[in-house]
Amino acid sequence: METITPFIEVIDEIKEAGGEIFKMCFQCGLCDAVCPWNKVRPFSMRKIIREAAFGLTEIEGEDIWRCTTCGTCPAQCPRGVKQIDVSVALRRVATEYDVFPASVKSARTARASLISEGNPLQGERKKRADWAKDLSVKTYAEGMEVLYFVGCYLSYDPRMKKVATATANILKKAGVEFGILGDQESCCGESIRKTGSEQVFKDLARKNIKTFIDNGVKKIIVSSPHCFHTFKNEYPEFMVNFEIVHMSQYILELINDGRLSLKGEFPQRVTYHDPCYLGRHNNVYDEPRDLLKKIEGLELVEMEDSRKKSLCCGGGGGRIWMDTPREDRFSDIRLKQARKVGAQILATACPYCITNFEESRLNLEYENVLEVKDITEIISDML
Amino acid sequence: MGNDILPKEIIQQFSDSPVSINMGDKNFGDVMVVGGGVSGIQASLDLATAGFKVYLVEKGPSIGGHMAQLDKTFPTNDCSM
Amino acid sequence: MEGKKGDFNVSLKTKPRYIIEDKCTGCTTCVQYCPVHYPDPFNQDISDNKAVHVYFSQAIPLVAYIDDSCLRLKDKKCDICSGVCKTGAIDFRQTTKKTDINVGAIILSSGITPFDPSAKEEYGYKTMQNVVTSMDYERLLSSTGPFEGEVLRTIDKKHPKKIAWIQCVGSRRVTEGDNSYCSGVCCTYTQKQVILTKHHYEDVQCTIFHNDIRSFGKDFERYFQRAEQLPGVEFIRSYASIEKEIPETRNVIVRYATADDGVKREEFDMVVLSIGLNPPAAYKEISEKFGIELNSHGFSKSDSSNPIKTNRPGIFVSGAFLGPTDVPESVFTASGASAQTGELLDYRRDKLAKERVYPIERDVSAEEPKIGVFVCHCGANISSVVNVPSTVDYARTLPNVVYATEQIFSCATNSAREITDLAIEKGFNRVVIAACSPRTLEPLFRDTLREAGLNQYYLDMANIREHCSWVHAKQKDEATQKAHDIVRMSVARAGELEPLLEFDLPVNKAALVVGGGIGGMTCALSIAKQGHEVHLVEKAKDLGGMARRLHTTLEKLDVQTYLDELIHKVYQNPLIHISHEATIKEVSGYLGNFTTTIETEGRIKTIKHGVSVLAIGAEEYKPSEYLYGESDKVFTHLELGEEIARGNKAIINAESLVMIQCVGCRNEDRNYCSRVCCGHAVKNALKLKEKNPDMRIYIIFRDMRTYGFREDAYREASEKGVQFIRYTPEDKPLVEKAKEGGKDVIRVIVPDLILGQRLELTADVLSLAAAVIPSTSTNEIASHFKVTLSPDEFFKEAHVKLKPVEFATDGVFLCGTAHYPKHIPETINQAYGAAGRVLTLLSKDTVVASGSVARVNDYDCVACGACISACTYDAIEFRDTPKGKKAFVNPILCKGDGLCNTKCPTNAIMLKHFTNAALLKQIDAAVTSKDILEQMDAVLEEA
Repeated sequence: METITPFIEVIDEIKEAGGEIFKMCFQCGLCDAVCPWNKVRPFSMRKIIREAAFGLTEIEGEDIWRCTTCGTCPAQCPRGVKQIDVSVALRRVATEYDVFPASVKSARTARASLISEGNPLQGERKKRADWAKDLSVKTYAEGMEVLYFVGCYLSYDPRMKKVATATANILKKAGVEFGILGDQESCCGESIRKTGSEQVFKDLARKNIKTFIDNGVKKIIVSSPHCFHTFKNEYPEFMVNFEIVHMSQYILELINDGRLSLKGEFPQRVTYHDPCYLGRHNNVYDEPRDLLKKIEGLELVEMEDSRKKSLCCGGGGGRIWMDTPREDRFSDIRLKQARKVGAQILATACPYCITNFEESRLNLEYENVLEVKDITEIISDML
Repeated sequence: MGNDILPKEIIQQFSDSPVSINMGDKNFGDVMVVGGGVSGIQASLDLATAGFKVYLVEKGPSIGGHMAQLDKTFPTNDCSM
Repeated sequence: MEGKKGDFNVSLKTKPRYIIEDKCTGCTTCVQYCPVHYPDPFNQDISDNKAVHVYFSQAIPLVAYIDDSCLRLKDKKCDICSGVCKTGAIDFRQTTKKTDINVGAIILSSGITPFDPSAKEEYGYKTMQNVVTSMDYERLLSSTGPFEGEVLRTIDKKHPKKIAWIQCVGSRRVTEGDNSYCSGVCCTYTQKQVILTKHHYEDVQCTIFHNDIRSFGKDFERYFQRAEQLPGVEFIRSYASIEKEIPETRNVIVRYATADDGVKREEFDMVVLSIGLNPPAAYKEISEKFGIELNSHGFSKSDSSNPIKTNRPGIFVSGAFLGPTDVPESVFTASGASAQTGELLDYRRDKLAKERVYPIERDVSAEEPKIGVFVCHCGANISSVVNVPSTVDYARTLPNVVYATEQIFSCATNSAREITDLAIEKGFNRVVIAACSPRTLEPLFRDTLREAGLNQYYLDMANIREHCSWVHAKQKDEATQKAHDIVRMSVARAGELEPLLEFDLPVNKAALVVGGGIGGMTCALSIAKQGHEVHLVEKAKDLGGMARRLHTTLEKLDVQTYLDELIHKVYQNPLIHISHEATIKEVSGYLGNFTTTIETEGRIKTIKHGVSVLAIGAEEYKPSEYLYGESDKVFTHLELGEEIARGNKAIINAESLVMIQCVGCRNEDRNYCSRVCCGHAVKNALKLKEKNPDMRIYIIFRDMRTYGFREDAYREASEKGVQFIRYTPEDKPLVEKAKEGGKDVIRVIVPDLILGQRLELTADVLSLAAAVIPSTSTNEIASHFKVTLSPDEFFKEAHVKLKPVEFATDGVFLCGTAHYPKHIPETINQAYGAAGRVLTLLSKDTVVASGSVARVNDYDCVACGACISACTYDAIEFRDTPKGKKAFVNPILCKGDGLCNTKCPTNAIMLKHFTNAALLKQIDAAVTSKDILEQMDAVLEEA
């Protein structure tokens, strides 16, 4: 056993970076017991917290980048240690020192793209609304009922553009007077913040808030739980508050208000995956399920880990941009869970989850047995 | 439940106990003990032995409290009844 | 409730029971016929009961009640119970009754509510069949439980082979719906459940998931070791998470963390959630109705200088409503509440309460023995093994038996009344109760004889439970035969019983309190306030004891100010007589009449008193380890507290301070936990952080034992940046003197289990949690007062739960740290508890001495002295008689244990109630003469 001295300066740096809550840990190990990483490989959040407490963090290592910010451990931590805050603080310190392991390099590319184009996918800013070209979607103007904040993945990613299209279709069918911001829209900044790039987040947030205010925005509808979370819980740090509604909640409301009605039958066995940022982080569990239950013929089944225990897809905390070896992917396990309950469709409501699930679907060769869909895609087919 | 005998001074206010008195009547006592678990029973016994008239009030159908539900007690493994 | 101290008016609503209590015999016929099956709350809803039922088999009163599930109450459909009740006890016309009561004081003993884990999805309680709470498990273990003491899974009635316990469910957690405090009892009750489980089923594997083992109570450390050392028992330091239920087997997968091997996954047949204690469910209502304040957790808000008192004069609190407590504390705080009520209402003592009056005793000495025999079912405890009706029939055939019958519970109030009534009606002069051991219930049955006008010594108990049904559960026929034998022997003895007189001894109404610390003074004051003289004896020059060295507590009590006030009150009280610099020279006498000789300030003084309270306190261990005494930078926690209070700059301005816990205890020399040190360490750390927020403070500990609300202070210390490092006794911290940057420092090297590395800490100050050890005068005082010591050499109480502040020696009481280390509020509670028990004696003019004592026949005594050395109570001495020196038994001191009888070479000494004549009759009856003759015939035939 090696003998080491606590590194006071490093402790102070971590505290400075916002990770001081490590001090509350009493090493009960519950974070490790509930962490999804330990379903694929050994990983100890407890050790990360302990190392931080004594300034002994391996700043150049992989481990401080693993946390997907899924929120399982902080929800159960008996001492109220906010493990996500500690992880983010450590990443800030690493970013400060400019040290990154190989797997994190691609997240640096995303960061560069966010700085130059306002999205992590290296799409040109001016092409942000290209998906809507032929859909006669209006640009938001003051006085409209709602702003539809599309988000980066739905704007640029070929798979996710289908979800944007489906969403626009639903809103139009319901007669919602809505608009989008087009190239004025920037990434919400949620995930880049989790990788420790605080300044990038602040710049993006400032841009968005300015745009919202300039356009007189009051109510915002979002497709991504990550946008949902950061608008709802993080933008208020800048003393602004908008009414934020997730698409699953909004559509349910449209149906309940009689503005939207579903037609036909959908005789499929569907399971719903709770995205971390919708479920655990924001307690939205029921609306997506209630929405699915509105569909005639649809049989809703629950997977082994559902609701509060929902298994993370692996994409949060900026992990969506990092390289995860195949054997370490939570999304593979999730797809197997969906198959185990006999689901034909794995439905969810998050672009990261869909991205990861589609990749696992290919890798597991599930193309013929399991479909991955956003809830809006299912609804859009039933109008 | 101990090796003391409940002294007669203790009147248990159980539902329809034989001492129930018509509405509005005043009953005089020295002390009311609220709760017939181990602590309430002990307090009642001590007070009654020391010369006070005690009303022991219990909301359940029997005295004994949670201790009556325990199998044995630590650290001697004595029977809790 | 309204009014003020001395005059409270309370109006009570009594829910109807729908049973006329007087008429119900507890026969349970109605229960058999009731068609409504309903989950039984007493058995945690694991098994069913009926809409009409007796709450539990030993309920008091033992009468049925009808609950809301009754069909008749719902829609007047059913009337079966009224039809089958032979005594006409069912009465559906009963309504809620209102009763008004006027009392002078109120004691709230509202207890606790077990934490309900069903609101927390992650535990799977109520959704997974084999996840149970510890309260459920208590019922599973109990012989009156849902499976009669068999631990079975409800789902498939299989015995679980692998059981996991998850600790701190609902406790020590800041998550929503949980409690932040430690419930204090769960660690040890879990160990109990493990020990009992292993006793039931040797091959069961037991795994306990925890983060600290909190064995802070008396004898808890040894109890933990007992559990831990059982084969197949494993304590794992990790909170655990329930992953899932396996659908096929209904087994449960548990995940937990290890420091060395990462996260592990294990399958269990059953998981027990060790749930904590919540405040009483109706705490808000209680607070509003009685106008008392609550703390942030919903328990009674207490003033740490007197937790039993509430903000409202005349209302007191006892038991777990004070905060999570175990049984002994619930009992002594009850006695404490009784003492404080006594202080308040002393003026009206004996005004309302009436002495019991018994009928005049009938002289039956000239009558032939006429014996009544009662055979008890003890619910199913006896009758499930022994054939009770056959035993009754057999009893009727025995000589002198005039009557025999069976009873469901002979100890129930109605059964006891039946014994009295039948004794009068049938004219018995002897009674045999065939039931349990006489240890617990003999006083109750003797009482039934007194009520019938018989001498209470005309009772004999035939133990057909402990001696028969419980040990022969699988041999029913033989057990029944044995029950016949036991009853026959008992009847034989009963015929020889003689009436004995108990006599009243006058009580000297003064008390002696030994020890002038917080415990002794508090107790003395309470006794004096109830009108009795108190002699307070202190060995030091000044009063105050150990508290003189304490300055603050976690509850923020200013100890010195409190102590000064307390001392002042003691000096001011005219009934308290204080002796300083006193040593005890001699103690003689007995309950009610002690004479103690002391030497005080050079003079000899004799004190006469009726009772004694020993509150001699404890001492601090002087460490021989960790450079204590070798470096001026090393202190004990007590010294550190004093230095902080003095404002020692070297300490307050230190950059870094290290504390090491468990110094001098939890080891081979002292196998106990000193209980106060974890709280003490946290208290000092918080004080230092308050004065110097930048100080780096490390607390090196084994298990943090900040039980109860102290857990909040532990968390606060973390919040203030105090760092906690766990060590194991196998790899203790290394401490050495060093120099750093030119200054002298202490270097501490300690392995950290999570880091897997040794941490090297530099400290300006090292503070040691030195053990609390028994006072050096403990042995001497114990021998003077003839009291005994526990294995750890603290005073041993008569019974951990039933008599927590009394010694086995009558009239001698204890309180404070002489009993075991404890915090100041606990000492105060216990001191009031001792005062409460003292008053149960001092408030009486006389005490009763047993009639079953030894007596010497002077003619046969040869003055050999064998009996004198055999007696442990010093009850026998030589006296000069006209026939020379003879042994004499002081009947007041004699406890009737019979040790002297067995030693006497000439049979000169005999024990009343256990005479040779009676015992020989009993032995002769063991084997009947018919059997002996048959045996002889058989032998002869063979020859």
